Amino acid sequence: MSEFVRDGDIYSLDLTLDEAQILINVVEQLLELLGEGSFNHHYDESDPFAQLMAQLKAAPDEIVTPEDPVLLRLLPNAYADPEAASDFRRYTEPTLRGKKERALLEVRQALEIIVDENRDGVVADLDCDTWLMAINDLRIALSVRLEITPDSFDLFESLPDTDPQKAIFAVYFWLGWLQTSLLNAISR
Amino acid sequence: MSTDTLTDADLDISHLTDRPWITLVWDDPVNQMSYVVYVFVKIFSFSQERAHELMMQVHNEGRAVVANGSREEMERAVQSLHEHGLWATLQRDDVA
Repeated sequence: MSEFVRDGDIYSLDLTLDEAQILINVVEQLLELLGEGSFNHHYDESDPFAQLMAQLKAAPDEIVTPEDPVLLRLLPNAYADPEAASDFRRYTEPTLRGKKERALLEVRQALEIIVDENRDGVVADLDCDTWLMAINDLRIALSVRLEITPDSFDLFESLPDTDPQKAIFAVYFWLGWLQTSLLNAISR
Repeated sequence: MSTDTLTDADLDISHLTDRPWITLVWDDPVNQMSYVVYVFVKIFSFSQERAHELMMQVHNEGRAVVANGSREEMERAVQSLHEHGLWATLQRDDVA
């Protein structure tokens, strides 16, 4: 499996074409959910990931507490008190959303080169904070849709290979593995 | 105009000052332990040991107070924790 490599201050990631395609698909689906869909996406609408991510897509005109549980987890309330939470959200959410979108767009841009060349490739000289943030947001998004609990890995292992959920669980756990790989590279 | 001597209560201006606020991080089944430690060190400049201790407190007790200070400082801390995908809230320090 691919892992992050550090050489001095330079970080890189070798990816197979399959891995790059899986990553760019989830990145694009999360960008669309966040409301930043101004690109030609690489995934097929019938893709089970796309169907999983595309629930409740309509973005409200004004900044309100998100209805979609993925958005509510990525852009959470800062206060238990609903009024204070909504005041805080009104003036901070665009910044938070923008930072998450920029990280995902940067990752997408790197992956697009590999996917469009249609062969295995290297993401060279990547920004580790950007990649950590994007990978973590992808994990969070998938975890909400998959209703991840501490017992989910046992469930994943018990699912038959024919279960369509199994592939999505596999991506979720792979993202966790990638994150650990990057954290290990940073602390090395 | 009253010429009575001011009492201690009159001189108590603590209600005019910003009472301390706290930032809480809540447990979730998703964020990996090593990632939470990394984020605590990055945002709060904690030592590895302190970051690990707070991460374990979140994991074992369901939440931990990771910072305290003015409301503005805690809002910035919560915003930064949200940027990194941690589940954080702020509130007045009236728990203790």
